[in-house]
Amino acid sequence: MPTERELAISPLVQESVQHNTQVISNIRSLTASLFGVASGILGLESYSGFLFYLLGTFFVSILIWSILAKGKQRDYFQGVWSELWAGDVLNGGMSFVLTWTLFYGLVRA
Amino acid sequence: MASSSSKALIALGTILLAHACYSAYEHSALHLAAGLPLDISIETVLSVVFICVGLVLGAEELKPISWRVWAGRAERESGGGGPFQGLEDRLGFVDIRVKRKDFADWVRDQGSDNKG
Repeated sequence: MPTERELAISPLVQESVQHNTQVISNIRSLTASLFGVASGILGLESYSGFLFYLLGTFFVSILIWSILAKGKQRDYFQGVWSELWAGDVLNGGMSFVLTWTLFYGLVRA
Repeated sequence: MASSSSKALIALGTILLAHACYSAYEHSALHLAAGLPLDISIETVLSVVFICVGLVLGAEELKPISWRVWAGRAERESGGGGPFQGLEDRLGFVDIRVKRKDFADWVRDQGSDNKG
């Protein structure tokens, strides 16, 4: 996090910060349920399912980093690690488990 | 351009995912012992990759959070506008003596018109 002095020298636009967080959390929640569907279809169980989710999240982070942020992540995120690479992973995990169990049960009924 | 390709990718991915899901369901209904065939796994992973790329391509653009970058871009895009427009358009100093004299002359003219 930047110090108060740094913020005074180069102020931030709060509106843009909120907008970026919103965009990222939209993508995260959509892709998290998508990974749940996929791992349910693949029939993954226990650790391999969560590993699949983490790998997928990492893949989406790389996509966001390269396509949306164009490699200049510091221009768009205050805390690069917490907002871009690991942001919303736990929240997405909930919807991941939900769709994972749902599709596992649907496919292997 | 980006939005149409993203929609196409999402549509393609959704079709592939639905097909993979139905295939997996049929497969599990037929032979319970065998694992998932390789082609269904590949189809699932491929469809997920397609939808992810489509979602990221179709997402709204990020906005720069640093004030100077954001203000510079806003000024360039609106052609001299931007957050400092109000300061740019302010009047310079007004010569109050000239204005006062003009007003006095105008009042005097009005008075003489009314009399005449």
